[in-house]
Amino acid sequence: MTEAANSPALVIGGGIAGIQASIDLANMGFPVYLVERSPSIGGRMAQLDKTFPTNDCAMCILAPKMNECYRHQNIRVLSYSEVAEVKGELGNFEAKILRKPRYIDETKCTGCGECAQVCPVEVKSEFDQGMGNRKAIYKPFAQAIPNLYVIDKRGTPPCRVACPAGVDIQGYVALISQGKFKEALSLIRQKITLPATVGRVCTHPCETECNRGEVDEPIAIAALKRFVADYELTVGVEEVTPAPRTKDEKVAVIGSGPAGLTAAHDLVLMGYGVTIFEALPVPGGMLAIGIPEYRLPKKVLQTEIEAIQKLGVEIKLNSPVGKNGLTLDDLRQQDHKAIFIAVGAHRSMKLDIPGENLKGVYHGVSFLKDVNLGKKVMVWEKVAVVGGGNVAIDAARTALRLGSREVTILYRRSRQEMPASQEEIAEAEHEGIKIHYLATPVTILGKDRKVVGMKCIRMKLGEPDASGRRRPIPIKDSEFTIDVDMVIPAIGQAPDLAFLPENSSFQVSPRGTFEVDSKSLATAIPGVFAGGDAVLGPASVVQAIATGHRAATAIDNYLQGETLLPEEEPLPTVTIEDIDLTDAEKRNRLVMPTIPSKERLAGFTEVNLGLNQEMAMEEAKRCLNCGVCSGCRECEKVCQAKAINHEMKEEYLNLNVGSIILATGLDFYDISKLGEYGYGRIANVITAIEYERLTSASGPTEGELKRPSDGKIPSNTAFIQCVGCRDFKNKPYCSSVCCMYATKEAILAYEHQPGTKSTIFYMDLRAVGKRFQEYVTRAKEEYNVTYVRGRPGRIEVNPENGNPIIWYEDSTTGETKPFETELVILSQAMTPSGGIERLASILGISLDQHGFAEIPDKLFYPLDTTKPGIFACGYAHSPRDIPDSVVQGSAAAARVAEAVAFRAPSLATGGVYRD
Amino acid sequence: MTLDDIIKETNTFYCLECGKCSSICPISRYNPAYSPRVMVEHALLGLEDDLVYNRELFSCLTCDACQPKCPSDVNYPLFIQKMRAIASNNGEHGECAHSGTLQSLTRLVTNPAIKQRRLEWLSDEFHTSDRSDVLFFVGCAPYFEHIFDFETKSIDIIKASLKILNYFGIEPVLLPNERCCGHDMLWTGDVETFKRLAEHNAALISESGVKKIIFSCPECYQTFKENYPNYVKIDCELQHISEFLSEAIEKNEVSFKETKRTVTYHDPCRLGRHMGIYEPPRKVLEAVPGIELVEMKHSKEESLCCGTSAFTNCDLYSKQIRVERLLEAKDTGAETLITSCPKCQIHFRCAMVNKGEEKGPDVEIEVMDMVNLVANALEEKN
Repeated sequence: MTEAANSPALVIGGGIAGIQASIDLANMGFPVYLVERSPSIGGRMAQLDKTFPTNDCAMCILAPKMNECYRHQNIRVLSYSEVAEVKGELGNFEAKILRKPRYIDETKCTGCGECAQVCPVEVKSEFDQGMGNRKAIYKPFAQAIPNLYVIDKRGTPPCRVACPAGVDIQGYVALISQGKFKEALSLIRQKITLPATVGRVCTHPCETECNRGEVDEPIAIAALKRFVADYELTVGVEEVTPAPRTKDEKVAVIGSGPAGLTAAHDLVLMGYGVTIFEALPVPGGMLAIGIPEYRLPKKVLQTEIEAIQKLGVEIKLNSPVGKNGLTLDDLRQQDHKAIFIAVGAHRSMKLDIPGENLKGVYHGVSFLKDVNLGKKVMVWEKVAVVGGGNVAIDAARTALRLGSREVTILYRRSRQEMPASQEEIAEAEHEGIKIHYLATPVTILGKDRKVVGMKCIRMKLGEPDASGRRRPIPIKDSEFTIDVDMVIPAIGQAPDLAFLPENSSFQVSPRGTFEVDSKSLATAIPGVFAGGDAVLGPASVVQAIATGHRAATAIDNYLQGETLLPEEEPLPTVTIEDIDLTDAEKRNRLVMPTIPSKERLAGFTEVNLGLNQEMAMEEAKRCLNCGVCSGCRECEKVCQAKAINHEMKEEYLNLNVGSIILATGLDFYDISKLGEYGYGRIANVITAIEYERLTSASGPTEGELKRPSDGKIPSNTAFIQCVGCRDFKNKPYCSSVCCMYATKEAILAYEHQPGTKSTIFYMDLRAVGKRFQEYVTRAKEEYNVTYVRGRPGRIEVNPENGNPIIWYEDSTTGETKPFETELVILSQAMTPSGGIERLASILGISLDQHGFAEIPDKLFYPLDTTKPGIFACGYAHSPRDIPDSVVQGSAAAARVAEAVAFRAPSLATGGVYRD
Repeated sequence: MTLDDIIKETNTFYCLECGKCSSICPISRYNPAYSPRVMVEHALLGLEDDLVYNRELFSCLTCDACQPKCPSDVNYPLFIQKMRAIASNNGEHGECAHSGTLQSLTRLVTNPAIKQRRLEWLSDEFHTSDRSDVLFFVGCAPYFEHIFDFETKSIDIIKASLKILNYFGIEPVLLPNERCCGHDMLWTGDVETFKRLAEHNAALISESGVKKIIFSCPECYQTFKENYPNYVKIDCELQHISEFLSEAIEKNEVSFKETKRTVTYHDPCRLGRHMGIYEPPRKVLEAVPGIELVEMKHSKEESLCCGTSAFTNCDLYSKQIRVERLLEAKDTGAETLITSCPKCQIHFRCAMVNKGEEKGPDVEIEVMDMVNLVANALEEKN
């Protein structure tokens, strides 16, 4: 949206100086634009409890001004916006303003706060200087103007980026942390139709990328998914109503594995008629016949598949396509307008070594299939499984449970390269399975056509091959023989494409998988799509599910004659550097309870017992909320004004203004690097602005001056002045307001708790304003404030009570002494607002070496920056207090009025106002 | 140099009398008569005698805890050094510990005709040569063993350093008539003696033709690097052995055997705050498998001094400072306190000797130089 707008002034910064300048100009009749980068105007003054020397409540005197400013017909406040670009000159500046997305419609939001009540994500509140929390959807403070909420979206959390199916992981974890299990499950189901299954078997690439892993250990995301799915079973599953059939077309899905089931689920909800043709006597694909019962109980899978069938998906078992009147052509004849091939990769790769046909050699896929189908499968005493993937581990653990005494796995590379999941490898070893690394079979030895042993050769790792893993190279003359009577090769699979007609036009890769369009999964034959392992080769369940969703969308587009929309650009991924870890304490990840060791091998009982509510909520609370807003959409559900819009985008506004007023205010110098003060190390050492939030009635402690370590209200406080300022090594200038505000804060301590003793360690007492010196005298006479000259250089802590101990020099005796107090408040140096360098370069003005606006003529044009038409006021100009900032705000308004209104009446023509 | 010159050179003029230096100073914490701020105040008020004839002028450890924190950037240690030069010219030398033996020794070797038996501890186990490009500066270690009535283990530092250098195939030059570097002389104001020592050393080094000098003592290292250039010319690369080792580790040139031990590291003032070398010794320690390094409450820039400097004004307050530091070391739970300065090690060991005073806190802990740990952990490369 571009609103070409004309105005004499653009005021940058909605603090007290900017508000005053805007009101003055507006009252003169000039239209003004006020840009403020945070969600509300008010600036630093809004954070203060009281103001010196009158001890007025800051918000009480500020809020009417904020209101007047916002409601003034001549002022347009652009909150949550920043200046992106400025060109031109006095009389004719072109400013491009970035309106950051609030994700909330400004015209509809009433500021009621229902959304924040249900938001599960809590982060530190900037307004409360980190002493309290806010939600991801928030209003910075109660009296915020404009009275609107805003959603904080930091970016896409790495878990979501890593998940092939794009599950909103932070969302469901956040909901679990708040006990909202039903909502969490509902969110998971948007992308995963089989949550109980996936929660048990997923390879969880999300956990590998989880940022919490940089603090201690990743969140147990898969276990949490399983928890909410299982939880539903305990509280009662809601009845599934069949999806309405709104479209005529029928779709055939070949294969009822995770890809096929997902596509079928999506398509039936879109209103199509869907039939799945499954060759085996049971549905589920590899979920049913590949994964053993002790990892995924059949009952769990069956319940989830039944739910899909209840939606209206027809599953025809024992119906292999390719024979018995069910060729692809036949399907077409039967009016299936689109076909999704999801046959998986069930054909075992052969070892291709002598002896592979001996009795006792049982290929892994067939072995597991037969066991899972309930057939009677015999195993021998000593079993060797060849391979390093999950199939090999599944086969090994199954053989143990069927009665083999000694099960060994042979893998040709080392443990690091093993593709099986770490948990599976660990479980296998726990159960007594031995893994031989860097070994591969050469010949299977037989006697009487039965396996009696296997000759193997040792390997070493050479240069990386095409997959990026180091190529195994046989070591000459290192053959050895192992004594086995059963060999289970599990070295890989490929799709079984025997069902394809001869001379079909399908394109097949050298690996034996279908070649398809990467976005639409369309094969070479129009109307025929393919996904899952049939396209990916042996991959994971969640990858198959992702292809199922993609295929359903593509099929829908194809059938409705529409083109596939380009995918949305996600927000940038959040890395660990983006996150404030100061309060992240190391906590242990939950440990999944398992059945006792001796019960494991007795049968196929599920090994992992699952979590209880407390464990799940505790674990979910470890989440760092990387993206802040988790996308769970709970806010949308409760907003009666329908004001929430998660799809909002950035917008730009072009303004044409005659002049610019820089009123960007102040920030606080980072004093945590000044180790001598103990800030960050000692709990009861806080900064002055943090103190303001504690004494403020709207603050995190509702105005009770509770000290951080134990909530005790101190009866003894100490203030240390000039922390990081008047210091050649940090900020050499004086921040101007600290002598007075420390006096004020000491007075407040007494007011909060009469009798409190405060000591202020000062350099000079700068009390230059009207009635300031009298204020200081009152503090000494009436409020038990003592002033001690000197700069302490060392703060320790008394471990027994958390009291800080200040070492200072008694200037009367020259002795260095300790001074114990209950709370230390540091008057930290203040600097121009963060980002001022970038803004200065956008505006084309110079700053001095500390970031304050460079003023060429300090005596007669004290607000004029190095660029004519741009005026600086308030702390952006130089350190000053509130009344002086207001004065400068009015002065800037006067400069603008003079420069633009009188000397350049026509904004378009501009004009020179000074040589 | 006059008092005015000193005030200008050391930025003392900018002092705002804030007292931050005194509040940080370890001596001030224990000695009520000592205050850096008061010292500077005397100077600014022109009360030269109150400095020159003040016993406390020689109490300063010149540990440099104050300077990095001084908001007015006063170079207090340099101020003290220069004031002591004036004091020295007026016959004031502070209270020399151990009956002045160390100071006498240092002055003795300014004699050009002196012959020293400083390398008698050398055995076939250590390989040195006359023709190497590298010189190892031994320092006063060979004499320390004979001065103190407890084992200082100073010569072990030299032996370990040689073993390390030999491991890398370096057979360094060892000067048989090397002189004391003069650090203590400079810091107690005897600039004349210092100059003579520097001149002797410079001549010997130039004669030897070496291109690089490695030090195991931070005081020698600092003196050569920062102070010598004002008086003599040494055309060599200078390195502390921790830097040398750290570089070798970076280039993967060294193999260590497993050494299971929890240690803590004390930053010597000269190596740490004065020369800015905090990371190399830590890198070296952490490169040895099995070593767990636990930091003391005050480490790196905040490190506490070992309590005595230049063997002068060593008193009860020095002992209290040492006890504070040793208790910090014990508090970490470490088995061994590692340092990389022979002087620090001497002072810590001294604190552990029972001198018949009343029972104080238990400060017993194993002390060792970083090179000792490293030398024992070296493994033959394959």
